[in-house]
Amino acid sequence: MMSIYLFWRQPSQMVDRKRMRTSNFRWLLSKFVLLYLMVQVTGALRDLKCTTNNLKVWDCSWKAGFESVIDEVCVEDRSYSCHQVEKTNIKIPALPPGDHIMTAKSSHSPANSLSKFILNEKNVSFIPDTPEILNFSADFPTSTLFLEWNDKGSAFPYHVNVTWEIKILRTERRELIKLETYNTNLSGKDRVHQWSWASDLPLECATHYVSIRCYIDYLHFSGHKEWSDWSQMKKIPWSPNSQTKVFPQDKVVLVGSDIIFCCISQSKVLVAQIGSTLCPLIHLDEKNVAIKIRNISVSENSGTNVIFTTDDNVYGTVIFAGYPPDIPQKLNCETHDLKEIVCTWNPGRPTGLVGPRNTNYTLFESFSKKYVTFKRAETFTNESYQLFFQILPDQEIYNFTLHAQNPLGKSESAQLVNIMERVSPHTPTSLKVKDINSTAVILSWHLPGNFAQINLLCQIEINKANSKQELNATIKGVKNADYLIDVNKLNPYTKYTFRIRCSAETFWKWSKWSNEKQHLTKEAIPSKGPDIWREWSSDGRNLVIYWKPLSISDANGKILSYNVSCSSHEETQFLSEVLDPQHKAELPLSKRDCIISVVAKNSAGSSPPSKIPTIEIPNDDLKVEEVVGIGKKILLSWHHNPNMTCDYVIKWCNSSRSEHCLMDWKKVSSNSTETIIESDQFRSGIRYHFFLYGCRNQGYQLLRSIIGYIEELAPIVAPNFTVEDTSSDSILVKWEDIPVEELRGFLRGYLFYFQKGEKDTSKMRGLEPVGRSDIKIKNITDISQKTLRIADLQGKTSYRLVLQAYTDGGVGPKKSMFVVTKENSVGLIIAILIPVAVAVIVGVVTSILCYRKREWIKETFYPDIPNPENCKALQFQKSVCEGSNALKTLEMNPCTPNNVEVLETRAAPKIEDTEIISPVAERPEEGCNTEPENHVVVSYCPPIIEEEIPNPVVDEAGGTSQVIYIDVQSMYQPQAKPEEEQDIDPVVGPGYKPQMRLPINSTLEETAAEDDIDKTAGYRPQANVNTWNLVSPDSPRSTDSNSEVVSFGSPCSINSRQFLIPPKDEDSPKSNGAGWSFTNFFQNKPND
Amino acid sequence: MSQREGSLEEPKAESSISLLPHLEAKIRQTHSLARLLTKYAEQLLQEYVQHQGEPFGLPGFSPPRLPVAGLSAPAPGHAGLPVPERLRLDAAALAALPVLLDGVRRRQAELNPRAPRLLRRLEEAARQARALGAAVETVLAALGASAHGSQGSPTEAATAAAPAPAPGGFSAKVLGLHVCGLYGEWVSRTEGDLGQLVSGAPA
Repeated sequence: MMSIYLFWRQPSQMVDRKRMRTSNFRWLLSKFVLLYLMVQVTGALRDLKCTTNNLKVWDCSWKAGFESVIDEVCVEDRSYSCHQVEKTNIKIPALPPGDHIMTAKSSHSPANSLSKFILNEKNVSFIPDTPEILNFSADFPTSTLFLEWNDKGSAFPYHVNVTWEIKILRTERRELIKLETYNTNLSGKDRVHQWSWASDLPLECATHYVSIRCYIDYLHFSGHKEWSDWSQMKKIPWSPNSQTKVFPQDKVVLVGSDIIFCCISQSKVLVAQIGSTLCPLIHLDEKNVAIKIRNISVSENSGTNVIFTTDDNVYGTVIFAGYPPDIPQKLNCETHDLKEIVCTWNPGRPTGLVGPRNTNYTLFESFSKKYVTFKRAETFTNESYQLFFQILPDQEIYNFTLHAQNPLGKSESAQLVNIMERVSPHTPTSLKVKDINSTAVILSWHLPGNFAQINLLCQIEINKANSKQELNATIKGVKNADYLIDVNKLNPYTKYTFRIRCSAETFWKWSKWSNEKQHLTKEAIPSKGPDIWREWSSDGRNLVIYWKPLSISDANGKILSYNVSCSSHEETQFLSEVLDPQHKAELPLSKRDCIISVVAKNSAGSSPPSKIPTIEIPNDDLKVEEVVGIGKKILLSWHHNPNMTCDYVIKWCNSSRSEHCLMDWKKVSSNSTETIIESDQFRSGIRYHFFLYGCRNQGYQLLRSIIGYIEELAPIVAPNFTVEDTSSDSILVKWEDIPVEELRGFLRGYLFYFQKGEKDTSKMRGLEPVGRSDIKIKNITDISQKTLRIADLQGKTSYRLVLQAYTDGGVGPKKSMFVVTKENSVGLIIAILIPVAVAVIVGVVTSILCYRKREWIKETFYPDIPNPENCKALQFQKSVCEGSNALKTLEMNPCTPNNVEVLETRAAPKIEDTEIISPVAERPEEGCNTEPENHVVVSYCPPIIEEEIPNPVVDEAGGTSQVIYIDVQSMYQPQAKPEEEQDIDPVVGPGYKPQMRLPINSTLEETAAEDDIDKTAGYRPQANVNTWNLVSPDSPRSTDSNSEVVSFGSPCSINSRQFLIPPKDEDSPKSNGAGWSFTNFFQNKPND
Repeated sequence: MSQREGSLEEPKAESSISLLPHLEAKIRQTHSLARLLTKYAEQLLQEYVQHQGEPFGLPGFSPPRLPVAGLSAPAPGHAGLPVPERLRLDAAALAALPVLLDGVRRRQAELNPRAPRLLRRLEEAARQARALGAAVETVLAALGASAHGSQGSPTEAATAAAPAPAPGGFSAKVLGLHVCGLYGEWVSRTEGDLGQLVSGAPA
């Protein structure tokens, strides 16, 4: 049954499973047939198995049986062949496809049996021989393993595909780290194959093993194809060096890659780190460890340090992480001298590698097969690199390839150039300038290089003051020679700066500019004579000749002197030679009629003469005109005058200067009718005087005289003005002219302000007429007016006067003055006389009326007053008065009047006044023990009224029944009063005091004195108005709780109100006592 | 007590040596040179460490003192030797240092080609060590002592040692660090030894 199993067994790994599936059915059928046959031979050939390793010979083996021993096996093929069997196997030539009957004979069996069975190729397994490794080596620096083996292809005379399987194992534990399939084919000959593999772990870190097997996929073999056995393992023998403990050493890796470092150590590794970063340890064999660095970053120049620290030492290595060379950028090949080609390029991205690891560049020319290598200078970093390639004779086209290489890779860049079109000459040197004449020079320069085959295009830059010119010139090229070129049309006696640059005529690039070379051209004679003018001196004896210095372009050199001569019809007289830089000559002239001639001289010669006649033709019809400039310029125009045949001359001067008037002049042609005068000397606010001369044959005639400003400004001073006259209602003001220097423009008028006001009053400090109705303004536009009379003023009033001048440039500063008008005497007299007259008339009329009505007045105002002593009703009860000093109020009830003596019956209003009786006046207080300093409140004991009064309230109509008098005044006087004041008026004594005695102009002291008198006298008239004004119910004093006096609110009289109303005197002081009002007043009049 | 202080008695022991004025001037000059080079050696060491990358220069990183082929560190018993003997040792060490410094410069030219100041300092250090060694030998000759023949020369072990293979980058860095350190130590030691002569010289 084992054999059956063997036939059924499928190859463990089928290479071509697809093919096996397609023949699955046929294979099953054959198995059944074979199964039948095998059942028949089971007894003779147990576990029959046929294999082949070369497809030529089949090796069939079986297990020996106990019942029989096979002696011979015969195969029915094309020819019947028998094979004697000595062991339990037999090797027979490979049979062709198809079934073949085999007969096994056993001579030792009891029945001398003969067994038959069918043998087919499909039942044969093809197991190649185990491959043999020829060589297994390692390159430690690159951690690469190399494997060599022989495929023994000669054993297979066919083209057969072979699959090799290689496995790499690591460490003593033989961990599988790599299993790779490698396909080849057999060519009928023995061939040696190589296979290499780079390990991520340095090979020094652990032992590496390798083994190999193969699978031959022969398509025409229908049997089972199986893998060969694995070859015997080979290992890399390596014993670590005692000095190198860490691997790899000084390796160059790509930035971002992963790398493993290991440390071979006999002692335990404690820490591993890259730079300053600690890394986890990976344990290898024994105490060897490794670390894996992922995505390594670019190293610094000296590399990245990797450190392993053990108990007793530190081991390390350096890793260089960088980039492969970038493609050389901006590769450019050109020549400066047609001797060698310079190729420059930019290295692109830095590799991060330096020293021996830096990029090597090689410039290769494919046509000539020549190359040059770049010699690196480590100092520069990102500058352009360059290589020089010698130009080859008879070669114009060059195909350059620049190769860049470093340990991490290669790159290249190419350029195809025609070097004749890539000429960028060197910078021209030794630039020299040589004079030809005053307007031409020769330039020479040196240009290194072999330019004989080409033409050069050179550019000459010619600089002079404020101008630049460029000239291009084509020059035939020569070999290492100087070049010359003429430059003409220059200006004499002019400083030029030359520089030059060149290129090939087939332009590629300009060279750099040469150094500049300065050169002063030679002098030439002045191109024209100086611009001249003449002035007669003030005394008319001398003629002053002026001329302007020639411009540089006209002088053509340095002017040395000027020759002045005078020519007339008869002769020419040399007058003077004036050395530069003097530009005028004053000469006594005997003849007034000649032509003055001036020539300028330099080292090259004399200029053409400039001429001017000396005669000045008078002009009586001359007016002074005014002009104002526009934009710093003066525009002068005039009418065409056909008589003027030569030219016009405008001269000007500063009109304020007293000396000889000439600042400058300008000549214009005779056909001009206007000109613009401008000068750097013009200043704003300065008055200039312009004179326009016309030239005739005989001489110059002054045509116009003009004063003007380039720009008008406001005056800088105010006009001086004085007051010529004042009256009670007017002021006459007079002012002076402002000097021209301070006027700074044409005077257009004056502004005159006046206003009431006194000096040093804040009101007058700002006098701005705008919006001020009290300020009067007069604009005086008549500039000839020098006086102004201001009328309609008030008399004896202070006025402020302000005067300003103005021009078109603005208003000048102010000047002010204060003036007081005189008093108006007539009005004053009238104002005095009228009131006096009115007063007199009123007095006279009043006197007359009083006289005529004296009786009535007497009856009204001064009736006969009865003697109060006769009035018992008015006597105070002595007992009451003596009862208590403190009791000073009028005791009404206990003092019942006995009777009332009516002396006279009158109309009620009159009685009201006349019935006021002051018992105090008649009864001084000596009867009472009252201290002088205390308020004396008189107790009034009304007499007993015999007739009962039905209405005790005093009324105007019924005031006869009862009279109560309260000394109001005493209540409002201060208790502490100087004693001396109490006796001031000895005249005032007890007795009658008329109620109308009103103190006029009384002072407070007087009032106080009177109050004291009243105290002593007892009787106080109600008309003492001072006391009314002093106190009121609302006054603070009235509410004084400390006062012993009880306020009654006002001086009151029950029967009379006549004097309660104070007289209407506005001047009365203290008339507005605090809190006092009419309302209060009336409220304190109980009968009102 | 420092080694320099420990040999303060030496000038008295050498008082028999009559220092001529020109010799005294030479000693002072050489001492000044040694003092100057001591400062330069410190600067060189700082510059060197700065260009080697981490962990060089980090606190706590101290690579083991590998034996430097051709030179050893000053022996602990150096201070106990007579001054001429010490100067002989100094001169021998200073004579060996230029070669070592040149080797360090070559390796640094590969590792740090863009550190011109470091390379210049290394080159100058070699030249200055040579100059100082020559000056010390001159002083020794003036003192009547031979510059050769001393026992226990710091260069003996070096000459006896087999030439070491070219180290890797890390070893080169460590070796350079040691050479720079040795340079500083020997220059400083020379300064101290000369200083004792200067302090013992008559005014």
